[in-house]
Amino acid sequence: MDTHFFSHLIEIETLETEIDGFELPDAQKEEIKQLVHESIYHNVLDAILSELNEEDKKVFLSHLVSDDREEIWGFVNKKVLFIEEKIKKAAEDIKKELHEDIKGSV
Amino acid sequence: MGDDIKYKDLKKKLEERNRSLKERIVTKHKEAFDWAQNNTKQLAAGAMGGLLLIASPASNFLPKTTDNTNNTQFIDLPENMFVVSDVKKYLPDEVSELLPQQEEKISEVLTNYYGFKVLPDINGLRLNRTYGYIGLEQHLKRYPGDTIGEHFQTDFEANQYKSSGMAPGLGGFGYFAKSKSEMTQKDIDREKYYIAVQTFLAPNFLEKKKEYINFFKYKKMLVVNPNNGRAVVVVIGDAGPAVWTGKQLGGSPEVMSHLQRVDGRDKGAVLYFFIDDPEDKIPLGPVMPIDNSH
Repeated sequence: MDTHFFSHLIEIETLETEIDGFELPDAQKEEIKQLVHESIYHNVLDAILSELNEEDKKVFLSHLVSDDREEIWGFVNKKVLFIEEKIKKAAEDIKKELHEDIKGSV
Repeated sequence: MGDDIKYKDLKKKLEERNRSLKERIVTKHKEAFDWAQNNTKQLAAGAMGGLLLIASPASNFLPKTTDNTNNTQFIDLPENMFVVSDVKKYLPDEVSELLPQQEEKISEVLTNYYGFKVLPDINGLRLNRTYGYIGLEQHLKRYPGDTIGEHFQTDFEANQYKSSGMAPGLGGFGYFAKSKSEMTQKDIDREKYYIAVQTFLAPNFLEKKKEYINFFKYKKMLVVNPNNGRAVVVVIGDAGPAVWTGKQLGGSPEVMSHLQRVDGRDKGAVLYFFIDDPEDKIPLGPVMPIDNSH
């Protein structure tokens, strides 16, 4: 499966298992999963960009466009202290909120 | 609560959360995203098509079989991103002449998106390029005595486009109408949505000059900004620009505004293909992709 450059840092299975347990058609489950993944992605992207100055944000987006993971990691590691921890925290924060959304609805 | 209601409720909640995350990211990092959208020099044409992947990550987490990417996943900045990403595959890194195979693929993509036939040539007649830098043209006199003060139909148009001024001479095909009283909406639209192209550089132009001039006069074309997917149906209304300018075509102020293209140092490239519209059914002006599963 293709992944994002930070996907290996993020535990997504718990949420997926929760969604898989719903009594919903598969297509609807996948739709929910997709929205969940998208939210996580955007929160992580926001967290990374928030650590960079304006010029570095542009460099980062350029690397992201080219999807050169070596370049991306080389860049963010150089620019942001403890970037992996910050990515994990951004993902965990949004996952908590998503859990609440899910618990409150289904 | 029934399952269907629960599902709809959750979906709505997640969509709202997602929308607000996207809005936050676009607002907080506006300068960087604007740069990525507008900067055509540092990023190859179609770079925003690459950012489409950035903005729609779900398929990267999910197995490929569940990939049902749709418009709701996009950050709001770029429009028509499917067009951008599909066209990007066939564009060279540098703005240059396209190979016949590239033209063929791009005309297929555009035909599919816009629902009318888009071609690099018609009956063997064509321009020298289908991909080039566009510059800003002035308004053209539509009839004898036309002035910039009388040129616009609304105050909004006047405010937006008056500053571009009116060309001192006539367009390459003369006036659009014989007089103000005889001017039709079609004439108005032709001037509003015109481009100037290098007719004089068309292959074998001198040998087929008469045929070419008849062919080019008010011929409909589709002009697409490959960086944002904005497209407009235009007519050829003038010849130019000169080769030394480094530009391959020019657009009326209205065309340039819709494409979000500017002249000068920040000039950008567009695709320009003929539209096969023998019955003259396709209206001039901005055009959006038709909804055929994109």
